[in-house]
Amino acid sequence: MPKDAQENRPLRRLSQWLGYPRIGDSHRIGAARTGSPLGWMVVPVILLVIWQVAAQWLNQPWIFPPVTRVLDQLAHPLREHYASGSLLSNTFISLLRVLLGFLLAAGAGIALGIAMGSIRILRTGLEPIVEVLRPLCPIAWLPFAIAVFKRGTLPHLFGLGYTRTVFDQVQLGMVFVIFVGGFFPILTNTLDGVTGVRRNYLLLAHALGARRRQVFWHVYLPASMPMILTGLRQGLGLCWFVIIAAEMLPGAESGIGYLLIYASDNAAMDIVIAAMLIVGGIGALLSLLMRKVMSGLVRWHGKEI
Amino acid sequence: MTTDDMNHPQKEKPIALELHQVGKVFRSDTGAKVKALEDVDLLVHQGEFVTLVGATGCGKTTLLNLIAGLDAIDEGTLRLGDGLRFGDNIAHVFQHYTLFPWRTAVSNVSFGLQMRGVPRAQRHLRAAALLEKVGLKGFESAYPHELSGGMRQRAAIAQALAIEPKLLLMDEPFGAVDDSTRTELQQMLTDLWQENQTTVIFVTHNIDEAIVLGSRVLVFSERPGSIACEFKIDLPRPRNRIAKEFTDLFIHIRKSLSGQLD
Repeated sequence: MPKDAQENRPLRRLSQWLGYPRIGDSHRIGAARTGSPLGWMVVPVILLVIWQVAAQWLNQPWIFPPVTRVLDQLAHPLREHYASGSLLSNTFISLLRVLLGFLLAAGAGIALGIAMGSIRILRTGLEPIVEVLRPLCPIAWLPFAIAVFKRGTLPHLFGLGYTRTVFDQVQLGMVFVIFVGGFFPILTNTLDGVTGVRRNYLLLAHALGARRRQVFWHVYLPASMPMILTGLRQGLGLCWFVIIAAEMLPGAESGIGYLLIYASDNAAMDIVIAAMLIVGGIGALLSLLMRKVMSGLVRWHGKEI
Repeated sequence: MTTDDMNHPQKEKPIALELHQVGKVFRSDTGAKVKALEDVDLLVHQGEFVTLVGATGCGKTTLLNLIAGLDAIDEGTLRLGDGLRFGDNIAHVFQHYTLFPWRTAVSNVSFGLQMRGVPRAQRHLRAAALLEKVGLKGFESAYPHELSGGMRQRAAIAQALAIEPKLLLMDEPFGAVDDSTRTELQQMLTDLWQENQTTVIFVTHNIDEAIVLGSRVLVFSERPGSIACEFKIDLPRPRNRIAKEFTDLFIHIRKSLSGQLD
């Protein structure tokens, strides 16, 4: 078949535009990667079309809303829903809680991980406790957290009472549960990182005249940095996981998880799905962000010699 | 060819290191005691290039670690010469993991200076000069994983030299590089030694390498490790591997090594 005739077939042109390799290219390694950047959209678009057609055919939007209604919700993130705020405001509240809990978890997890990794007594003493508490779902801590922190919020902690700001929505109980969610992956990864530092690097540092403190800053910390960052990535992912569940439980009165369950109680399935897409999208974004930070900070990772 | 005048240091040079009846015992996982070293006597004078040759696992590395202060002595005594101190002017070059993978070449070489509080600009200047000396000009900002095996060992030697060591301990540093690179590195090390007059103790299982580099070759016996015999090498440098004196020595050492295997 002449080459021109092949190029003109509409389906082939479409597939080329979308970045799929030509049949004749399939033997070339990596051919599929050199196409149009829009290629990844094909499958989602097809699924959305099927969804739209199916939803219109079923015509029960309180169970299965059409794509257009979900997209309409996403296009109006500031729209107030009943008394529970908007998609954007609730997302912001959830992110604020997660950020605070995650930062506390990162600080405590890294510090304790390094301490346990370098002080033997601390490790033997705490390891059994860590091993028992680690497999526990963070949500299981919620009743305890609510009992301890009552309805206390971040401004309460500083003796400010009700401040009429978004910080009134940052309940300490929630922050504690997020803290627990992020703490264990950060702790265990840091511990693995510190205890996994090659003895040779320590010997080398000692031979070159490093003192104890210097070994800590110039060997232990950089050598365990890839594991610490892995812990932070896993921890942040888990924090975001936990907050949605925590906000869906009785007692919550704001947050994207709360909006999700509230909309569901009101049969507003379009808001439920919009909230789900936002949660998933932010989770993916956080993971991507952590990956970028990681590859920028530890260029050498996986290339030890 | 120049005569190797470093071969007669005993007469005028002070002692760098003295080992007397040194022994080391390890405990195996089953609790049994294993003698790694027994009755090691060794006298090294400043400026000497001593090579230790022996089969893998004969205790050469253990001896080097004892000298470096990385391990404790169980029997006998070890005395360092005047002015020699662990973590100060005794440098150690290993076969593997000789560089910190998270540091660039220049930052690796300046590690020892950084630990001594030398300001950044100054230590980088000195490190860059050392990298040039070992033939790594232009690779200052390369990470270890971006360097070849031979280049990494060059950088490791520069890293050791940066602390201006009086005693340089080398544990099979060229064990993982190919033959032609190994020959180049041996030549470079010989040149640096002749220039700096540092005392070097060099461990290898390669007889050829021991003769090419050493002003004295110590042959190690196995289980428990001890020094079986020693050879003074008076051959002029650079050494000719196919000269009769060289090959005679090689055969001699080979025989004394294989003699232990019987």
